[in-house]
Amino acid sequence: MPPPLPTASPASITLERVTKRFPGGVVAVDKIDLIVEPGEFFSLLGPSGCGKTTTLRMIAGFEAADEGRVVVGGRDLTHVPVHHRDMGMVFQSYALFPHRTVAENVAFGLRMRGVARPEMAARVASALAQVKLEGYEARRPAELSGGQQQRVALARAIVIRPPVLLCDEPLGALDRKLRQAMQVELKELQRALGVTLVFVTHDQEEALAMSDRIGVMNSGRLEQVGAPADIYDRPRTRFVAEFIGEINLIEGRVHDGGFIAADGRVLPVSSEKGEGAAALALRPEKLRIVSSGAGVIDGVLSDASFLGDQVLYTVTLADGRRLLVKERNPGTGALRQNGSTLGVRWEPRDAVILRNA
Amino acid sequence: MSTPSRVSPIAWLVAPAGLFFLLFFLVPFGVMALFSVLSGNPVQRPNVTLTGRHYDRMLGDSLYIESLWSTLKIGAVTTAAALLLGYPLAHWLARMRSRGGHALLLMAVIAPMLTGIVVRTFAWITILSDRGVINATLTGLGLLLAPLPLMYNELGTVIALVHIYVPFMVLTLAGVIGRIDERLEEAAMSLGASPMRAFLEVTLPLSLPGILAGSLLVFALAISAYVTPYLMGGQQVLTLPMLIYQQVAATFNLAFAGALGVVLLAVSLILIVAYNHVLGRVARREDLA
Ligand SMILES: Nc1ncnc2c1ncn2[C@@H]1O[C@H](COP(=O)(O)OP(=O)(O)OP(=O)(O)O)[C@@H](O)[C@H]1O
Ligand SMILES: [Mg+2]
Repeated sequence: MPPPLPTASPASITLERVTKRFPGGVVAVDKIDLIVEPGEFFSLLGPSGCGKTTTLRMIAGFEAADEGRVVVGGRDLTHVPVHHRDMGMVFQSYALFPHRTVAENVAFGLRMRGVARPEMAARVASALAQVKLEGYEARRPAELSGGQQQRVALARAIVIRPPVLLCDEPLGALDRKLRQAMQVELKELQRALGVTLVFVTHDQEEALAMSDRIGVMNSGRLEQVGAPADIYDRPRTRFVAEFIGEINLIEGRVHDGGFIAADGRVLPVSSEKGEGAAALALRPEKLRIVSSGAGVIDGVLSDASFLGDQVLYTVTLADGRRLLVKERNPGTGALRQNGSTLGVRWEPRDAVILRNA
Repeated sequence: MSTPSRVSPIAWLVAPAGLFFLLFFLVPFGVMALFSVLSGNPVQRPNVTLTGRHYDRMLGDSLYIESLWSTLKIGAVTTAAALLLGYPLAHWLARMRSRGGHALLLMAVIAPMLTGIVVRTFAWITILSDRGVINATLTGLGLLLAPLPLMYNELGTVIALVHIYVPFMVLTLAGVIGRIDERLEEAAMSLGASPMRAFLEVTLPLSLPGILAGSLLVFALAISAYVTPYLMGGQQVLTLPMLIYQQVAATFNLAFAGALGVVLLAVSLILIVAYNHVLGRVARREDLA
């Protein structure tokens, strides 16, 4: 096996109030401030059309920012053209050169840099080894499976030893199994190379599983930036709470350090400062089902769905609202009976209060 | 149980075109080629013999060799000019984002084809002739003493032919360029290629099939053109189609006309195969050891 590629020295990425407007009045990216640390695996997560690709393309230099600055590794790149930015990019469609072989595709960036042939051959071999694609050098992209094309695209981007690697939904076109395998591989590769990686995805599970930090985007804005556990356990906006995983929201207001639901019930939360309308957010797996009267709220079990490792129950409250409760599969084959009246409770520290904007 | 038919239903749809090709190309061409090697018309005289004299006559007469050369030269120059003019236009057309702009440009390319070749050729005559717009203006301004020789030569013929056939080049190329993923050029640029280099490395080689198809189309049209070389050349430029027409219409020498046609076709085919070969070599050029 060829020696591993020497690690690139990873760069930080700083976006300062970066804005992109498209003709027709679409503000695709709206004053984004963001710092990605050197060597970090950073995901941009958000629904379709929220501006993830546009943000990435501004970092890469394919789109010019209308306002703000893009600084990479301390260098202001705002007005530097793409081909002088020195970044690796993996496209969702892979964008492999169809008229060139795998080896020629991977060598392209080296050829543009005038790397001498012996070194070029060694680096191509090493990059292909990194993505476990030895022996495919002479094939054309059309003769490869989707997963193999993906690997070539990755090898082509890393062979130039970029300080920053940008990936736009690189796994989006793969089937579920392959995708999970590639998630692990990509993560390992990123660690081995020590490269700063910005990863665009609309798949929250993927983002949670792979990232050091996640930036959640919504209509051109960054709603929250944080570690996966942070984003999941402590969402700061309704959008983030609802976009990531399943969540129960109970409307009400904060009063006197506690939370009062719309129906006047005082619900357990850890002490909260300030006053005003808010919602209480509870993850289904943080709720527990207890006997009727022993919980915070009583309700009727109206649905049970078996998820394998867990069971998802729907509890309908007296006012018709529903709470989702996730319990571990007890393994006895016995699910709770629909129609039974029961109580639901939670620990105050698991309740997250989301202020109305 | 019926055995499944082996003939694809598409084959039946191709049948009319095949029949048309057979009846109106292969059969007449075969008859023409046959006549060109016979000593006379077999319908009138039953005892005809095989002969090479029509070919001998052509190859021995510098008029025909020069006219063949001139025909091929006009075809090649017209094709090259149409390619150079048409490629940027086709690229622009294929990559235009605005739908309205695309429609307008497409109309601009196609609209000239709606007027006949004769009309367009006469338009060029009014521009390029000795008393045409250009020469009249320049001599009127005192910038010229004698009119520039813009017409009655190969230059004028090529100018008019390029104008008439460039839309074929543009439409053929635009179809091919439009199907090339723009991300490929972006990928090349992200790997360090300047925009020009990205074009040369990616888009240009991938558009070779379009270059080939467009060139063949324009070349074939240009070497078989009759009206435009006739009017623009003012009898000073003799192309093979003009001489063939003369043999058919004035001299009634079908056999000799047939021989001229066969030679033109054969030489064109050789050129086309060579061109195809060269383009293929360029496309397959390996850049990595
Ligand atoms: N070239 C363009 N011209 C005009 N509007 C554009 C252009 N590119 C993107 N947009 C608009 O900008 C917004 C953000 O687009 P973007 O491609 O960044 O979204 P995204 O988050 O990547 O979505 P997806 O997950 O669907 O890829 C969208 O409303 C889109 O319609
Ligand atoms: Mg996108």
